[in-house]
Amino acid sequence: VSARAPEADRRAPLGVITEYSPELPLVNLSLSLRVGSELDPPGKEGLSEVLMRLMRRNAGGRDADDNDRIVDRLGGSLGADVAPSTMGFHASVIARSYQEFVKLLCDTLGEPRFQADEFERLKREIHGELIESLDNDRSLGRRWFRKRLFAGHPYGRPVSGTPESLERLELADALELYQHALVRENLICAFAGEVSPDRAEASAQALRDTLRQGQRSETTSESPRTPDGRRLVIVDKPDRTQTQLLIGCLGTHPKDLDHTALHVANTIFGGTFTARLTQEVRAKRGWSYGAYSSLPFDRCRHAFSMWTHPKADDAGPCLKLELDMLEQWVNQGVTQEELAWAKRYLVRSHAFALDTAAKRVSLKLDAELYQLPPGYYQEYESRVQAVTLDQANDAVRSRISADNLLVTIVGTASDIQGPVEAAIDRLSGSEVVPFDDLS
Amino acid sequence: MRAQVESTAQGGSANGDARQPRLDKLNAEAPRYGKVTHLGTLPFGPALKIERFTLNNGLSVLLVEDHAAPVVAYHVWFRVGSRHERQGKTGLAHLFEHLMFNEVEGLPAGEFDRKMEEAGAESNASTWLDWTQYNEAIPKDQLSLVIELEALRMSRLVLREPQVASEKEVVANERRYRVDDDVEGAVNELLWKTAFQTHAYHWPTIGWMSDIEGFTVDDCVDFYRTYYSPNNATVVVVGDVSEAQLLRELSAAYGEIPPAELPLEDVRPEPPQVDERRVEVTQPTTTQKLVVGYKSPGIGDFDHPALSLLSEVLFGGRASRVYKRLVRDLELCSEVRAFLGPFRDPGLFEIFASARGEHTAEEILKVIDEEMAKVREAPPNADEIDRARARLELGLVAGLETADGKASTIGFYETVLGDPSASFTRLEGMARINQSDLLRAARRYLVESGRSLVLVRPQLATEEEAA
Repeated sequence: VSARAPEADRRAPLGVITEYSPELPLVNLSLSLRVGSELDPPGKEGLSEVLMRLMRRNAGGRDADDNDRIVDRLGGSLGADVAPSTMGFHASVIARSYQEFVKLLCDTLGEPRFQADEFERLKREIHGELIESLDNDRSLGRRWFRKRLFAGHPYGRPVSGTPESLERLELADALELYQHALVRENLICAFAGEVSPDRAEASAQALRDTLRQGQRSETTSESPRTPDGRRLVIVDKPDRTQTQLLIGCLGTHPKDLDHTALHVANTIFGGTFTARLTQEVRAKRGWSYGAYSSLPFDRCRHAFSMWTHPKADDAGPCLKLELDMLEQWVNQGVTQEELAWAKRYLVRSHAFALDTAAKRVSLKLDAELYQLPPGYYQEYESRVQAVTLDQANDAVRSRISADNLLVTIVGTASDIQGPVEAAIDRLSGSEVVPFDDLS
Repeated sequence: MRAQVESTAQGGSANGDARQPRLDKLNAEAPRYGKVTHLGTLPFGPALKIERFTLNNGLSVLLVEDHAAPVVAYHVWFRVGSRHERQGKTGLAHLFEHLMFNEVEGLPAGEFDRKMEEAGAESNASTWLDWTQYNEAIPKDQLSLVIELEALRMSRLVLREPQVASEKEVVANERRYRVDDDVEGAVNELLWKTAFQTHAYHWPTIGWMSDIEGFTVDDCVDFYRTYYSPNNATVVVVGDVSEAQLLRELSAAYGEIPPAELPLEDVRPEPPQVDERRVEVTQPTTTQKLVVGYKSPGIGDFDHPALSLLSEVLFGGRASRVYKRLVRDLELCSEVRAFLGPFRDPGLFEIFASARGEHTAEEILKVIDEEMAKVREAPPNADEIDRARARLELGLVAGLETADGKASTIGFYETVLGDPSASFTRLEGMARINQSDLLRAARRYLVESGRSLVLVRPQLATEEEAA
């Protein structure tokens, strides 16, 4: 059973995706750029984030307080998103305020004021948020995992910057990035909800017209480098009763011929509650509340990772078990029975990727932003159905490495270092980093 | 059992006209506890309606036919939460929620989830102070399986030592994750422990660690027999379903389950708080934090919507009074937010603030006190109130985009207030709240004598200090 999306009305030159849905008096909007924080100059990480947040604050030459009040009064929400490959604004608004809200969005894109005192205030705010993020062990683990796995690649640079890089940012940098990135050719607008396609297209045209013509930005296409051997990073934080454990290597690219086969194989390994990883780590041993593997995609090859959070005493045994399971998955693959089950799950549950207009439009937007192969979502079910056992197992063998991988663990090093190092056969390198190193 | 009849379905609706003869036929062949009665129809927003039914074992059924997508949300809400526990057995409702995904008669451990996933279901559960709920979102042609499995685990759960032991470990790890190694989780737990000294809201839903470790199979069996019965539950179904088929299947699946005698609820009211309570702790964090809990009304209280609006005026979004002063103007905080408890009994209006750099909890408190004094002195202006209403309206509407979101909203308000459409009636009520209501709510609840405070000092040096 599948939910089939109505065809969205999309016209390439304008860069607009729309779907009318009258069920609720609500409109969801995305104004997305085909480029993201990878444009931040080296040493000036965080620039894209500062720019997008500054645009939202000083739209139309107004000060931030006025704009915040306008958003609230209209029954709207407006947030800035920045990722390595894309950035933009996501918004929702009660339908009765739609037209006025679009005017605010036009001001956001086309008439931001680059005001020095707001720029400096924003840098201080983001610095405060970086310090605040030290309280979140899961986010610390992810930060160090990305930093080491994608070392030397834009994906390894912190989107929000570092205290040092924020210090280096100047208002002129933001203006320069605005002029370079905020051009019509980079913009895609998406609308879902109680707004007709004609009206949405007119809005998209108005939004586009606020920007100057330019060149679509060049983006990185090179894959990150594969890790060399089995490396361990311990993020040392005092007084931890528990650890945050991430194990991974490079993963998939949407244009890989074996992309769907690997996705299906990962579903069997750690993609659901009854997958191997959850069953072994959580259901049988009770070692971790969460136990999943993930295989996200981006414009360049991204990561494969396994996530668990065993208590400090169980960290060594849990890590060893996970590495054994990984080796078994790579060397012995999955079974026909598992494959059949995973295909049924993926095909049936795909209905929930398509059950609202906002989700359907979001998938189409992703297809544009990440330059996904034609039919990526429309033909998802048939591609999943077509995966054979050999294809699934070949994909795991060729893409996932149990020999060249990265282990990142947040915990109290004095408690866990010995057991964790002992759990990794053929360990080729180990380092301990302080949790409050935000460099 | 709630038996009030709401606005009865009127003639003119195809379902309404055909319903009674159809129910008569169904009931003639129904199992002993599977006879279905239609209790009424309620509007759910401008476009949808809720049909309320009951089986004669007391099971409540709420149905919203919504054909926007070929999916169905199926929720089962039990009127049992951590408020029904006792000292020494805290966390049992939550542990039990985990155990409901284990073995049932005829299905070994793991098979329940496996069948659900094979059907394409997104399945989860949650427990809080007043309730426990189980939710599935499913493709429409898998509804029969979900009804069968949910009915099975309501009456035929198998509780054995290995699963209970393993699940206790999982819950202990969940507690480490959410509380013991999480500054905000740990401080929040301390706030409620400080603010409530008699009422069952004193203990956390996840339970004290020593209690989690001490549960036995017998504890779990007793809990199951006591609370997991049809007359203590509501099934909420939203989505692309046919009423006739749904009722037929519900009657067959739940119709053999007898009602249980529910125990008298032994919750003791919290005595009025007359003095501020203040606790100071150290935590492994780099900056000071402040958590404040003002005693607040239960969700059914007339003042609750007024306090919701006040919360938005003070803390909702960047333009709100307190956020603007603490984060933007004075740069004392990196984060400030508030939350008004949606609980059956009086709870807390919680404020969480995290200091920036070397600023202190006392500096933050001084600003909060000034702002609270202002709203006790004079109500917010009309523009502020309008903005607060618009924010709440957006929050409600945005939460209803999916069938699952609708089912959650309906199930929550039915379980806590006995009114499944209360989200909309609350919103309509907010349009009538005036400045006098806000002034009264501020003076009644946002007072120092009715609050508890936790001040958090960092146990770690910041990187700047280390440098």
